Amino acid sequence: MSALDELRQLRKGGAQVRKGDNRAAFWFLAPWFAGLLLITVGPVLASFALGFTKYNLIQPPRFIGLDNFARVLSDERLHNALRVTFTYVLVSVPLQLACALGVALLLNKGLRGLAFYRSAFYLPSLLGSSVAIAVLWTQVFGTDGLVNRVLGFFGVEGRGWISDPDTALSTLIVLNVWTFGSPMIIFLAGLRQIPEVYYEAAAIDGASRWARFRSITMPLLSPILFFTLVLQIIHAFQSFTQAFVVSGGTGGPSDSTMFYTLYLYQQGFSRFDMGYASALAWFLLLIIAAFTAVNFWAARFWVFYDD
Amino acid sequence: MSRGVRRGAVWAVLLSLTASLAACASGSDAGGDLTSEKVTLRFTWWGADDRHKRTQQVIEMFQRKHPNITVKGEFKEWNGYWDSLATTMAANDAPDVMQMDELYIASYAERGALLDLNEAEKHLDTANFDQKALATGAIGGKQYGLPVGLGMYSIMANLDLLAKYDIPVPDDTKWSWDDLKSIGDQVSKAGGGQVFGVQSPGINDAAGLSIRARQQGKAMFDAEAKVVLPQEIARDYWQYILDLSKSGAAAAPSVTIEKASAGLNQSATATNTAAFGLWWNTQLTALTAASGQKLKLLRLPGETQGPAPGAYYKPSMFWSVSARSKHPAEAAAFVSFLANDEAAAKVLLTERGVPANQKIREAIAGQLKDTDKAAKEYLDTVPVSDPPRITPNGASTLDTILKRHTEDVLFGRTTPDAAAASFIEEVQSEVDAAR
Repeated sequence: MSALDELRQLRKGGAQVRKGDNRAAFWFLAPWFAGLLLITVGPVLASFALGFTKYNLIQPPRFIGLDNFARVLSDERLHNALRVTFTYVLVSVPLQLACALGVALLLNKGLRGLAFYRSAFYLPSLLGSSVAIAVLWTQVFGTDGLVNRVLGFFGVEGRGWISDPDTALSTLIVLNVWTFGSPMIIFLAGLRQIPEVYYEAAAIDGASRWARFRSITMPLLSPILFFTLVLQIIHAFQSFTQAFVVSGGTGGPSDSTMFYTLYLYQQGFSRFDMGYASALAWFLLLIIAAFTAVNFWAARFWVFYDD
Repeated sequence: MSRGVRRGAVWAVLLSLTASLAACASGSDAGGDLTSEKVTLRFTWWGADDRHKRTQQVIEMFQRKHPNITVKGEFKEWNGYWDSLATTMAANDAPDVMQMDELYIASYAERGALLDLNEAEKHLDTANFDQKALATGAIGGKQYGLPVGLGMYSIMANLDLLAKYDIPVPDDTKWSWDDLKSIGDQVSKAGGGQVFGVQSPGINDAAGLSIRARQQGKAMFDAEAKVVLPQEIARDYWQYILDLSKSGAAAAPSVTIEKASAGLNQSATATNTAAFGLWWNTQLTALTAASGQKLKLLRLPGETQGPAPGAYYKPSMFWSVSARSKHPAEAAAFVSFLANDEAAAKVLLTERGVPANQKIREAIAGQLKDTDKAAKEYLDTVPVSDPPRITPNGASTLDTILKRHTEDVLFGRTTPDAAAASFIEEVQSEVDAAR
């Protein structure tokens, strides 16, 4: 009996079965349900309410209307944080996906030892947002770090990459691109789905390699590309750990690694202005929602659904 | 039916949550007797390795005296410390006893997070503290912190480096900031790109700027918490930092920032890559241990050119007790032990500053290592003027604001003059916002 038949059977089955099942399901789901309520929904609603207050974390919040949201418009450091975050998202996500696609195409050729390469390229994604890697990054890009030693070998004078506002953000972008493994795995799975016959037919018709890529691979992979793009953009907007660790929590030097989330964190936990931080969290939600909406709208022009 | 179950469960969860919150609110009385039941106190401090070892030793001594009280130490670096304190406070999970800084004490006290230690005077002996010293931890007549030690801003000079380059140790009784810069230039020239003259000020704390103002008879804040720092003084300060960088007396900006942000053990002074650095005199022992070279405390430059010396006795830190501690009496007893016990003092020595407790200061005099003695002697001999007012509520971010402006200046993103104006405006608006 297939799962579908089973489901049909269940539907047909009388009310007494359903009732018992529901209750059991409820109790099995209860821990998750409690977690959702207490850890996700509760704080989300609370932060919405706090957005309209002045709240210093210790004394009770005080209602101040829309002041926090008005401040969003005039806060120059926030505008800088937005600039930094947008740069990070708009540069690192396309680069990351391009690397992921490139390597996936290479690996899809049926290399010997594929499993090894796949794991090796995937590894950074598991580590990339961890504190340990961010700490490692400060060493690698430090004045006495690996990068400078390599550059020194070629006679190029290095610098403190992370402590220079002109390059600090780039090191974080490199870090994010380096974690291309997880989209790569998804692309690899997507490439496997494309029937080989399409390529064979195209080859017989004399299509060049580029033409095959453009007219077969890209359209058939586009839903997956789109899905990954949406997820990675959201993910990049929410980046926090790397900037926090690399800058020692300051977003420095000169606010050059001040991600939106880091600024939000500082407002809440360094300036003790949790009301404003809450308002910022909701503003970020709006930004991400807007980006996602634009993405979905644009998808109509380039994403191809084969049905 | 299923909807009924769901609704019932939601109420049950909410009720139990309320009940647990209510349970948190009850606590014992600071003036009551010490309990004989098993109690765990959480105690938190910031610092470097040397401090952690000494403090753990003292905790064990206390536990031997009070077998029913367990003290759990939690320690961090300076930056992580304040992030963590803010979050644990907000989560109603603050440690019972904490090391508190002058920068933050008004902020936490005015938000009601600290216990008035007078309520626990039955367990906390302050008889051997000078009234003036005690007053540094009091706000509006309430004792929110017990001063631990006193420190003074100083120049830490690396004698081994100076000897290596054959540069005489400057006469610090009447030297100026320009003298520091020119000797710094000499060191950098001799250091050949590996060793520099001066570890740039203006990155880790605002004391240097405050000192510059005080040397000219001015101050950062007035009694009403208004920023009264003259813009020219701030401008000259950043111009000086910029000149140090441009002339090469200090390392390249990115190196300077990296070293200064990495904590005491990675600082230019500790890694012997700068001959002079601005530090608290009591950091001499830790820095000597880290650098392995001979360091000497010099007086601040510019102390004799203006109307008054800028140096002052700064309470290096305070012991504070959380207002929400469930065991305030035991916490106060622990603080009293830290502040008054001679055996404990002989372990802690001057690592947290020359003890503010006068009896203890005498008691440990014979025990001091050379570096500790030098720190005490510095405190005893260098002329000072009255201390500045406590950093007002809202200005706890003073140091990070200063650091960002220094970075902007060093990397040419702003001019010293614009940095000065922006700094003053930002600090004032932070103080205003906290009201």
